[in-house]
Amino acid sequence: MKRFVAPVAIGVGAVLALSACGGAASTPTGESAEDGTLVVWNWGNSDDAASAYQDEVLAVFAEQHPDVEVEIVSQPFDQYYTLLGSAIEAGTGPDLALFNGGTQLKSRTNQLTPVTDELADIYDQLAGWPAFEDGGEIYSAPMFLQGFPIYYNKAIFAEAGLDPENPPTTWDELADACDTIASSTDVSCFALGNKEGLGIEFFMSGFGSGIFTPEEYDAWIDGERDWESEHSKQVLQLWADTAADGWYNDGANSTAMFNDSFDLFSGGSAAMVIGLSSGIAHWKQFDDFLGDDLGFMMPVTVNDGTTLALPIEGGIGYGVLNEDKLDLGVDWIKATVDRDALANYSIAGGQIVSDTTIELDTDIQSAQDIVAELPGSKPLLHTALGGDTLDLLHRLGQQMLVGEVTVDDAASQLAASEG
Amino acid sequence: MTAPTSTRAVVLSDPSPGWPRRTPKVPRRKRKITSETVTPYLLVLPVLLILLVFRIYPLLLGINFSFTGDQELNGVFVGFDNYLFLLQDERFQASARNVLVVLLFVPLEVLVAGLLATFIFIKVPGHKFYRSVYFLPVVLSPIIIGAIFNIVLGANGPLNAMAESVGLPTVDYLGQTMTALPSVLTVHIWATFGMALVIFLAGFSTLDQQLLDAAKIDGANFPQTIWHVIIPGLSQTIQFVFVTTTIGMLTGLFGLLYTMTAGGPGAASYLPEFLIWKLNGEARPALASAASVFLLLIVLVIGLIQIRVLRRATKES
Repeated sequence: MKRFVAPVAIGVGAVLALSACGGAASTPTGESAEDGTLVVWNWGNSDDAASAYQDEVLAVFAEQHPDVEVEIVSQPFDQYYTLLGSAIEAGTGPDLALFNGGTQLKSRTNQLTPVTDELADIYDQLAGWPAFEDGGEIYSAPMFLQGFPIYYNKAIFAEAGLDPENPPTTWDELADACDTIASSTDVSCFALGNKEGLGIEFFMSGFGSGIFTPEEYDAWIDGERDWESEHSKQVLQLWADTAADGWYNDGANSTAMFNDSFDLFSGGSAAMVIGLSSGIAHWKQFDDFLGDDLGFMMPVTVNDGTTLALPIEGGIGYGVLNEDKLDLGVDWIKATVDRDALANYSIAGGQIVSDTTIELDTDIQSAQDIVAELPGSKPLLHTALGGDTLDLLHRLGQQMLVGEVTVDDAASQLAASEG
Repeated sequence: MTAPTSTRAVVLSDPSPGWPRRTPKVPRRKRKITSETVTPYLLVLPVLLILLVFRIYPLLLGINFSFTGDQELNGVFVGFDNYLFLLQDERFQASARNVLVVLLFVPLEVLVAGLLATFIFIKVPGHKFYRSVYFLPVVLSPIIIGAIFNIVLGANGPLNAMAESVGLPTVDYLGQTMTALPSVLTVHIWATFGMALVIFLAGFSTLDQQLLDAAKIDGANFPQTIWHVIIPGLSQTIQFVFVTTTIGMLTGLFGLLYTMTAGGPGAASYLPEFLIWKLNGEARPALASAASVFLLLIVLVIGLIQIRVLRRATKES
């Protein structure tokens, strides 16, 4: 063992010497503004409509900055934040990067440059800002809206003897509908994929407005959360009860939300699903499979004194990482919410965009129903959580699904994680 | 020069056999710097430089980074805070516990590879076919293997359908705490034992055939031949396979974990490597660096212990 002593001692010495130097630089060392380039990271375009939208954004930006070369770097989404974090720490981060609103952006605001004053002139034009705000500052403009509408399959409702045009409006009606579907059909009531623990966040944000009073809801979004309150525990209890009552497909903990559970719904193996409003698993994609059988329903009333609201907020937007290119970055962000570009994309790609003056030009009834609920919508409950708490919620959601953690224990762990 | 008068004098005057017991009377000969003495160092210099630049320096940077904070404390020296935080973190504790589970599966992989390699070595019928078949999964991507076994082991998958058809209970192998990690490890063994098998086969080719023949003449049966001839003869190979399999399991399970369980349910199938990736994705790279250092230490300590224990165990007394 003696022969290991010298190298180890040298290593420890080197570590201590390096430690005294501090860590990696926090500010990306992009090239100076004068060199005429803007490096932008995103996770690529999902289809032709998204590519066309990006081209329009580039054209709008080029009109203002004809001499600036925009270098768009597309990274794989499943590794996006890991790669971005590593690049920033190494000092090779981009000038701007695309972020999901809510937890993903808010956990990185120390790396971003606020653009509150710079975007003040477009504030009234767009919806969904809270997902990009933190500590009273704005860090990006929402391009699209992201939310958790509940979709249902009218054909399965009809097969079970339920009224396809009048979906449940209260929790008791929903429970009765699930009992009926279980006894009358061979499909599950809800499609659920919980392999990454995402199921419980969809459940919480999907049904939240029917459980929490408006005051509790607003306080939750503002960071005043009491996990051990009656209604917070009720969310957890309902989650555990619905699993125990057999609302979901078998093996939800080993079924991925994207795309396995949505495939179950699209393929007619589940009567309902808490889906999304843009990007993926949204009304336009489901319509391709289900056509006129696709239905949209609002959350159901669980408690008295609640006001049902569509859970929806800003989905994605670009944040400025390189303060030296703040002006260019702001102009890029403004280009991404250009009214014409968004309007064209909303038609071609089926996105519900953040610009509230744009009408969604589609004859798909579910989409029109979603848009009609936008004025009364509320931000998502789960994206207000910090990264630690959200990850803990994912894990507890899985453990509650298999009965390994009690509701009280889960509530106390979540309360402790938020200090 | 006076001729030596005794054997002792001859030994003392000869610098080679007694080194370093060199007599003070004989001055140490200075080695001249010639092209012959310098060339070997020049030849290894590129490798040393590559090791230093691409291995040692990043390693030291990573260790250094683990002593700094995340987010608002980015770049600030925080001492052992990250390590103390990890020790109290549920996911880290689960990862550490799961390392022990992984270690239980290492002998299984070595045993499977060793036994099958022995069968191929003694040329069971169809051994050439089996050799190719056993090695085939090694060339598949872990992501593809994970996707395949996601389907096979799914709650409504073919394995459960077969079990149901013969009246056995169905199990959500990847969604239950007790079965998630063992399922992934079993698939990992299936996917990787081919490499260990090839190493074993290479080891077999170095076995002394005369010893095997002698054992046969002495009337040793198959288990006795394995225990008294093959295992001692393959001691170096077994050590190598053990250590590389352990390192492979500790650092090469990410792809399967990512696709099959995503660390769940809860933290039931977390391993250090997966935790490092999760922490980095949660914008806590310094904490991830601390977890990386822990993983490095785990691999180092386990590797050294294994080499020591196996060196003794595989030597015939």
